[in-house]
Formats: sequence, C-alpha cells, structure tokens
Amino acid sequence: MQEATFLILTALAAGTQHGYGIISDVAEISDGRVKLLAGTLYTALDRLRADGLIGVDREEIVGNRLRRYYRLTPEGEQRLAAEAARLQAHAAAALRRLKLNLAGGAA
Amino acid sequence: MSEPELSSATAPASLERGYRRLLAFYPAAFRRENEEEILAVLLACAQDGQTRPGLKASADLLKGAARMRLRPPPGQPRTVFAAVRLMWAGAAAELAALITIIVTAGAVRAAVLHAAPAPVPGLPGHLIAVVAVAPIAVGVWLFLAWANSKGRDAARMASAGSFCLLTLGLLDALAQGGAAYAAADMIAVAVLWLVALGAVVLIFVPASSRYYRPPEAVLR
Repeated sequence: MQEATFLILTALAAGTQHGYGIISDVAEISDGRVKLLAGTLYTALDRLRADGLIGVDREEIVGNRLRRYYRLTPEGEQRLAAEAARLQAHAAAALRRLKLNLAGGAA
Repeated sequence: MSEPELSSATAPASLERGYRRLLAFYPAAFRRENEEEILAVLLACAQDGQTRPGLKASADLLKGAARMRLRPPPGQPRTVFAAVRLMWAGAAAELAALITIIVTAGAVRAAVLHAAPAPVPGLPGHLIAVVAVAPIAVGVWLFLAWANSKGRDAARMASAGSFCLLTLGLLDALAQGGAAYAAADMIAVAVLWLVALGAVVLIFVPASSRYYRPPEAVLR
C-alpha cells in the first residue's frame, strides 16, 4: 500500500471527510510532511472506490460547489488495520534491533 | 479539525478556466463523476489572489490524467481494455502503412515504368487494392475498438470474423510468395495479424466474457 493511500484511509478512519478535509487531515497526520495535491488525491480516491475500500457517504452543495463526503467501508477498515499492524511489526523489529545493536556496541 | 470555508465564490474566473482546461485531459467518465468536486478542492487550495493554476498542481493534474487514461474504465476487465488498446494500435499501423504507400507511390511508379516501360500507366494492381482497402480497414479497427469497449457481444463476433478475413488475406499473400509482395508488405501484414490475434484472444478469455452481455440484456 502506498503511503498516500495509507494516509487517506487513516484520515477516513475517524469519520467521513470531504476532499479538502482529507488533504488537511493528511497534512496534520503526517506533521505537514505529506501535502496531497488534487490530482493525486482523486486518482487515489477513484482507485479506492473501485476496490470497494471507501464509499460515498453523502453529497452537499456548499457555496455553489459540490462537496462529496467519503467513508471507509468495512473492507477498507480491514485493509487499513492489516496494513497498520504490518507497519507496526516492521517498526517494532527495527527498534528492537537498533536497541540490541546499541547494547552490543556498549559491551 | 478546522474547516475553512471554500472561498470559491470569490475565485477569479481565469483560475477556474485554467483548472478546467487541465481537467479536460481526464477521461470523460471520470470528469462526469469528479470534475465539479475536484474543481471545488482546487479552488479551496488556491492562494489568495491567485489567477492561474500553479506549476506543481498542474503537473500533478496531468500526471493524474495520464494515470486515469492507463486505467480501464469502471467495470471493464483489464483484458478487454488491453484488447481495445491493441485495436487502436491496429488502426494506427494500418494508417501508417497507407501513408507510407501514398508517399512512396511516385518512386514505385518510376521503378515499375523503368522495369517495364510499355503500357503500365498506374500503380501495380495490388497497391491500388491496398490503398482502396486501407481506409476501410482503419474504420473497421476503430469501430471494433469502440464497440468492444462498450461490451457489445456482436462486436466480439465481428472481431472474430474480421480476424478470419485478415488470416485469409495473410494466407493468400503467403501463397503468392514474393511474386506480388515485397518483404516490407509481408512484415506489415504479419504485424497486423499478430496485433489482431492478440486482440481476439484477449476478448475471448474467460475474464473478458463476463463483460459481454447478450443483445437482449442491452435493451433494458
């Protein structure tokens, strides 16, 4: 799973969001490191919708403009949970080995 | 999370026009579904006083358009998508062959006249046939590409039929050997035949079959 995809799903994990909301939320989650651009966001949303990981929750017209809210599907929740567990396991392994290495170096 | 109001009502018309021009590169189905929404997001992300799309956002939109065009439309299996691409390639190859023949016709006629100065006023017969048939062939390739992408079962049958005709043509050319056809002709025909073979195989694999509906299912 690409990082942008992972962050988009994470943004939707807490509740429904519209496009602009996802962009701001992803920036917040990544500490301002990932700034999604519209082209990237919407090709990712299109793929996620086609794969059934997200769905359209509702549409609103705000200031004459269409605003569409997306939500995570049960399948999307499952995929995100699996991916998060995988990343966590990798991160834990990296930290464990670094600690071992430090201890070995000190001895 | 803070929710900034979309300031699209105050966005300059030139900015919106610029974004729409970029969005025009996306496939029609994607634009129908997403254009207004993406535009709202783009305008919400715009800086105050910005009058035209920024470089980074423009590059990102074009990259997205390229990616969407390489992706099969919703519901279309990859195999059908690939077959349609091959049919476009077939049309392009046919057109290229036609242009080559027309461009080199003068040289060919000169060569023929040189070899047989007597009463040979025009092009050799088979070249005239190719020039007459090629535009039709281009049309057939394009029509089959369109009809197959729509999932018409008749298009699948027509594709198989056209492939049989093409095969007969190839066999005929082989039977005549080098007598009437130059090596370049034979290679061109063989390449077209392989492209057609690939397309026909792709539309008849099981993954494609679920996409083709029987005619009565189309009339809903």
